[in-house]
Amino acid sequence: MKISLRWIKDYVEVQIPPGSLADRLTMAGLEVEDISSVGDDTVFTIEITPNRPDCLNMIGIAREISAVLNKDLILPKIGKISKADAKCEIKIEDKKGCLRYIGTVIENISIKQAPKEMLKRINSLGLRAINNIVDITNFCLLETGQPLHAFDYDKLAGGKIFVRRAKEGEKIVTIDDVERVLDTSILVIADEEKPVAIAGIMGGKVTEVTSATKKILLESAYFDPILIRKASRKLGLSSDSSYRFERGVDYPTVEKCSNRALSLILKEAGGKIVKSSDVKVSDRKAEEKEIVIEKETIDSFLGTETSVAEIKNIFDKLGFNVKVDKKKIFTIVPPSFRSDIVQEVDIIEEVARIIGYDNLPLSMPSIKVSSIAESKEIKLRKKVKQILISQGCSETVTYTMINQKHLNDSKLSDIEKLKILNPLSQDQEMMRPSLLPSMLSRVQFNMNRGQKDLSFFEVGKIYTKKGEKETLAVIMTGVALRDWRKLKQNNVDFIDIKGIVGKVLSGIDIKDSDVSYKISEVSFFEEEVSAQILLKGKRIGSVGQICGEVLDSWDIKGASVIFAEVDLESVYSYSFSKKHYSPIIEYPLVTRDISLAIKKETTFDEIMNIVFSDSNDIMNNFNLIEEYLGENLPGTEYKGIVCSCKYQSNKGTLTEEAVTEVHERICQSLIDKLGAIRR
Amino acid sequence: MEWDFQSIRQEAQKEAISISDQTSLESFRIKYLGKKGLIPQVYSSLATASKEEKPLLGKNVNELKNFISGLIEEKKQSVKDSIKQASKSNIDVTLPGVASDIGHSHLLTQTMEEICGLFEKLGFIVQEGPEIETEFNNFDALNIPSNHPSRDGFDTFYVDKSDPDDKDKKLLLRSQTSPVQIRVMKANKPPLAVVVPGKVYRPDAVDASHSFMFHQIEGLLVDKDVKFSHLKGLLTTFCKRFFGDKIKMRFRPHFFPFTEPSAEIDISWEQGKKDWLEIMGCGMVHPQVFKAVGYPKGKYTGLAFGLGVERIAMLRYGIRDIRLFYENDKRFLEQF
Repeated sequence: MKISLRWIKDYVEVQIPPGSLADRLTMAGLEVEDISSVGDDTVFTIEITPNRPDCLNMIGIAREISAVLNKDLILPKIGKISKADAKCEIKIEDKKGCLRYIGTVIENISIKQAPKEMLKRINSLGLRAINNIVDITNFCLLETGQPLHAFDYDKLAGGKIFVRRAKEGEKIVTIDDVERVLDTSILVIADEEKPVAIAGIMGGKVTEVTSATKKILLESAYFDPILIRKASRKLGLSSDSSYRFERGVDYPTVEKCSNRALSLILKEAGGKIVKSSDVKVSDRKAEEKEIVIEKETIDSFLGTETSVAEIKNIFDKLGFNVKVDKKKIFTIVPPSFRSDIVQEVDIIEEVARIIGYDNLPLSMPSIKVSSIAESKEIKLRKKVKQILISQGCSETVTYTMINQKHLNDSKLSDIEKLKILNPLSQDQEMMRPSLLPSMLSRVQFNMNRGQKDLSFFEVGKIYTKKGEKETLAVIMTGVALRDWRKLKQNNVDFIDIKGIVGKVLSGIDIKDSDVSYKISEVSFFEEEVSAQILLKGKRIGSVGQICGEVLDSWDIKGASVIFAEVDLESVYSYSFSKKHYSPIIEYPLVTRDISLAIKKETTFDEIMNIVFSDSNDIMNNFNLIEEYLGENLPGTEYKGIVCSCKYQSNKGTLTEEAVTEVHERICQSLIDKLGAIRR
Repeated sequence: MEWDFQSIRQEAQKEAISISDQTSLESFRIKYLGKKGLIPQVYSSLATASKEEKPLLGKNVNELKNFISGLIEEKKQSVKDSIKQASKSNIDVTLPGVASDIGHSHLLTQTMEEICGLFEKLGFIVQEGPEIETEFNNFDALNIPSNHPSRDGFDTFYVDKSDPDDKDKKLLLRSQTSPVQIRVMKANKPPLAVVVPGKVYRPDAVDASHSFMFHQIEGLLVDKDVKFSHLKGLLTTFCKRFFGDKIKMRFRPHFFPFTEPSAEIDISWEQGKKDWLEIMGCGMVHPQVFKAVGYPKGKYTGLAFGLGVERIAMLRYGIRDIRLFYENDKRFLEQF
């Protein structure tokens, strides 16, 4: 909101430079965002917080200044207004939408220019001169915060005012020459035939005060803030009036401001009051709520040593009714325009901000040990991220909102999803049910910018109607490790990402033997390179190579992309670290290799199972050294494998014979059970 | 046969000087000590020598043998050294080293961990809560009136799922991390001190400084005698630790429905020039909030604060466009 310093000085003495005043106001909670010169006036732009509608006018700001600078507030004098006996016909049909309506009819007015001093003030705040009547209503609005409206009385059909809801489809042309279609959620001021104003927002063109106007009806009313706000948003129309009604005007000011305007109109435009009415839905007296607070309470909360006089003065200046007894107990009644003040803390805040927060002491709290502990998830998540970073993957943070096209492009069309009811745009119509679209979009983005070697991960949530679930996604493409000593740089493949997933799981204390991989079809993976990840037989995710169709949809060209997704919540709940030291075996380790030709369809898991079931507990380690295809094999249906077996016992040094016995038994088992051929 | 031991010696010494590698050393050894070498020849001539000559000849040949052996040993060492020298100069130490890449934690994660870490050192515990929230936790319990504009669809995203506790209401995407305060207080009795990082959502069109999804960190301290001076002390300590001792800062009165008194904290790096940057909101927990979580009236006081992680990171690292955080350009990620 803008204020004119010239205007402010009508009500309060200001002897400090504008910059200093701006600082003082800012530090009292009225943040001055801009200071500018308009002619010989200085204009402040102030951010008024929603709890302070009383500051949306010159007098309100002047009152704050009077408290901050400790100067008296001088309110404008309003002469006695002699009301007419005749009643103005006003009917409030919507008793929730309008609590009070003061209508006054003045005849024989002369429309001319408003006085120069008045124009200077409203011009400073960016309002242009229209005519004395309109300018006076604007002046009073800016001065007191109470919006007013003047109708050309002769244009009001039947000379009557109805405050009612608009009918569905009813139309009005507002003073900005725009025809607006109304509905029943919108409150209007109407005459016998038609709406003549959108209540609290804008007047109608037909009843506008023009140079031809002779007789006016001046409206000063209290409209329901919520109704005005909703109508304003619905119509996409806001005004100086709606801005104030939305935030709530002061009930007693409805009358005060009406009188202020009437006295100015009678003075500047002449005329005579012929009809007047003050229609109140309920005779709402300002709830005079007393707040009782001890000085000690204030001082203890703020750490201050104030004086009774100091506190009393603050509230006097702010327009509160303050009494204090000998025990230094204050009884404070806030003024009607301070509906934000209801309890002790509100009183304390007033004292704090007028003294200035920066003038209050500071100290460190003693923070006690609480019963709350950091959750297991947080600890494990940190570990997961550390492992991935150590494996060369960089963390992404992507938008959690996606659209149906992203799902279709990722072959996830039918997945269950959680829609957003009021999306910002169709691009973000739902919460993501999978991390895949987010990750693919980041690969696409980076590849379009010439970044071809990518290893990304995200620990983020996926959402369904059941709720949200923390999930890990890893996506890789290109070369993970460039080594100039090697002729050929290897592109990342299934084995690389499987290795990383394995590192993550073992890193959070999940036993390798509890994790298994099962070849299975996943819509977005290549058929042959696609597996489910199982933890104790329960599916926790999938890993594989993204299929060509999906890559085409995402316009990712000339690259193979591998991806893994793991449901971290299942993993977290399973992980429990009960580490116990196992003694390091001091007896020597014997290494024997096995070289076999084996049927291509035989899985490594099958080999492992046989090896470990026949190993007599002395197999310490069994590692794949090489897998190959080629001519030196018994047939094309075979593949060659070389594995190393490491034997060790914790009971003593293994004899050559003992190792040979076990090793030969293993080889024989592989031959018998898998049809392997020893090489 | 006569042997001129003196000149053999001189000859051998001369030859030895030119020995530079293993091959020349070996041929030198063979020439003198090999089976058909000079020394064995001399020894064999001993057999035919006269009784008188024998002792002297024997003495001389032994001396010669020792001399030659000495030369060979000496040369062996120098050849070894020169090989070492040669192999040393074979590597170009300026060639690029090879190591696997280390990934990067996202700047937002780093910033959140750093901020939370500072509070953890002061005794706060990290807590988290869901992003899909109830209207009660996100608004009602935080003293935000039922008709408050922030509840409109213009300011809060609602999702297609009903609130299990209030079937007439839809669940929403939390517009702030503050609902976690409510969850924590409902589940625990004071004293408590928690920091809450997380994602929040508001329907703001995306531009250089706005995003419909961003991150906040919320803090809450509740105990029997928490004062306004504690709010100032705690957050002054935090700001100085995070932004440096040299910053200037101010507590500017502001309004939040869930705190009273409320403040915003501004900081300024530049001495003299007053260029205040708003960095966080804070205040004393509003009594209505304690009421909403069922704490007895007047028993506890508390302080709360909240800050936008993107904003803080942008200020600290000179990032001008909030979209950079979510684009995840590899060249951005790898800078931090």
